[in-house]
Amino acid sequence: MPVIEVRDVTKQFMKGSETITPLRDANLEIERGEFVSLMGASGTGKSTLLNLIASIDRPTSGTIVVNGTDITRLSRSKLANWRAANIGYVFQTHNLVPVLTAYENIELPLLLLPLNRAERRKRVEIALGAVDLLDRANHYPRQLSGGQEQRVGIARAIVADPTVVVADEPTGDLDETTSSQILDLLQRLNRELGTTFLMVTHDPDAAAIAGRRLRLEQGRLVEVADHVPVPAALEVR
Amino acid sequence: MFRFLPYLLKTLWRHRTRTLLTVSGSAVALFVFSFVLSVQVGLKQLTEQDDSVLVVFQANKFCPATSHLPQDYELKIREIPGVRNVVPIQVFTNNCRASLDVIVFYGIPAEQVRQARDFTLRSGNWSEFESHQDAGIVGHRLATRRKLKTGDKFTVGAVNVTVAGIFTSRNPSEEDYVYCHLGFLQRTRGLDLVGTVTQHEVFLAPGADPATVASEIDERLKGGTVRTDTRTKGVFQASSLADLIDLIDLSKYLGYACLGLMTVLLSTTTIMTVEDRVQQHAVLQTLGVSTGRIFRLVLAECLLLSVLGGFIGIFAAAATLTFSGMSIGAEAVTIAFTPSLEVLMTGAMVTVMVGVIAGLAPAWRASRAEIVPALRSIG
Repeated sequence: MPVIEVRDVTKQFMKGSETITPLRDANLEIERGEFVSLMGASGTGKSTLLNLIASIDRPTSGTIVVNGTDITRLSRSKLANWRAANIGYVFQTHNLVPVLTAYENIELPLLLLPLNRAERRKRVEIALGAVDLLDRANHYPRQLSGGQEQRVGIARAIVADPTVVVADEPTGDLDETTSSQILDLLQRLNRELGTTFLMVTHDPDAAAIAGRRLRLEQGRLVEVADHVPVPAALEVR
Repeated sequence: MFRFLPYLLKTLWRHRTRTLLTVSGSAVALFVFSFVLSVQVGLKQLTEQDDSVLVVFQANKFCPATSHLPQDYELKIREIPGVRNVVPIQVFTNNCRASLDVIVFYGIPAEQVRQARDFTLRSGNWSEFESHQDAGIVGHRLATRRKLKTGDKFTVGAVNVTVAGIFTSRNPSEEDYVYCHLGFLQRTRGLDLVGTVTQHEVFLAPGADPATVASEIDERLKGGTVRTDTRTKGVFQASSLADLIDLIDLSKYLGYACLGLMTVLLSTTTIMTVEDRVQQHAVLQTLGVSTGRIFRLVLAECLLLSVLGGFIGIFAAAATLTFSGMSIGAEAVTIAFTPSLEVLMTGAMVTVMVGVIAGLAPAWRASRAEIVPALRSIG
């Protein structure tokens, strides 16, 4: 059973008097543990689809079922709770809270879950270890490099052990070397944690690390590579 | 909610100049509000004193300097049913008009002071007061204001007393007075008032009707050399302070204006911080923070600013009022500016209310922002 099912999803919005349709009758199924990359030219709706799956945006029509829940039917408050438990989001611009340390930024999603301080500490330390930043736990975002900030962002996305991690151009703000390190990290986490990854990118090299590549063309999804078998899930927690 | 407290506190600390200015504004507003409220409470205490004490004053006279009643009226008043005790009082004040530093001498038979007033001596002793004609006991607030201590000589106009003790009273206004011997004040050079007093204070027997006894007193003394006007002490004091009462009543609008300004200040500051953090709130929502929690976070931030500033203002006002011994008076009646539990509690409640009211609009705005457009915004 797919962990993500997108059925006949259309997204429209108004720009002045003009109706924009970045997604038209999109259909997609992603299996548990897959690493899927989504490419497309600017404005083709790849981030829109990512945001719809991450439940931070709502489709105009169609249904999106993630981990058995039809998220298009949930209220705004229920959606927030659902997101806390099921979605990890990696932003292009890291979007760390500047007043919090790396540790506190990573701990943020855990504050929403019924975990005590010791449990939270354990999970944050595992996440920090997974992104190799244990020695930067007490650093503020301004004291970190771009690559380190993104690694904190990735740790924040995986710390709550979500069903799906979505990444919106995670290397878009980074130089080539750092991008390569981040992509390696994402690939390793997918392999080791068995978490489903959906990454939006316009960079073909970045997209190549995914087991499955999709392209959005004129609002519709096109498969650009054969489906690669799902890597074996490794439980580290 | 408490799990997000570090985030809240760090956010305020990060913008510490803005936080400091907002807290200062709130503090000033609550300082003024508490000050005004203290005056209001002081006036209320003064004019709502119990009805079991009447003041017999010369009819159609308002200033104590012009009321001259025969001292022997005391004997006639004592005969009236319902009267438990009568105390003749000579009043001398340095200023009959409204002033912030009124000094009032109450000349009273020394042996009656302890009966007529509920005073506790903080320093000095009663026998020293009772055995020396020129001795006076000074209210604690006046002593603080004038830096007087037991043994000091104290002169106002032609009146020169030696401080035999400093007293406190449950009625803070009493602490603005000097009590001295009746005969001493009557014989003070320039006053020459032997045989007359400014007023008689009448203590009623339990169950006596104040209005009936007051009418009876005025009726009984109608045939005397001076006509009288008898009222309860509360009404008498309210009438003495009539000019000030309107002014003090008006001052409450100053207090309300301060609260209004504080609300606007807090609201503006919080909405500015919300606008600065549109993207940050969107990130929090993306992580799973609900709109309700965003609402509560912003509200808590505003409340914290309000409570921080408000409490500083309230305690600063309380300290100022306590240590300055300020009061305002007219016609030898003074209103003590005292910090009371009522003022502290009201101030605290108002602070919380203002914080909540000021935070509602920014909190609503923050919680209603759509995540995707907010993530794309610069901030």
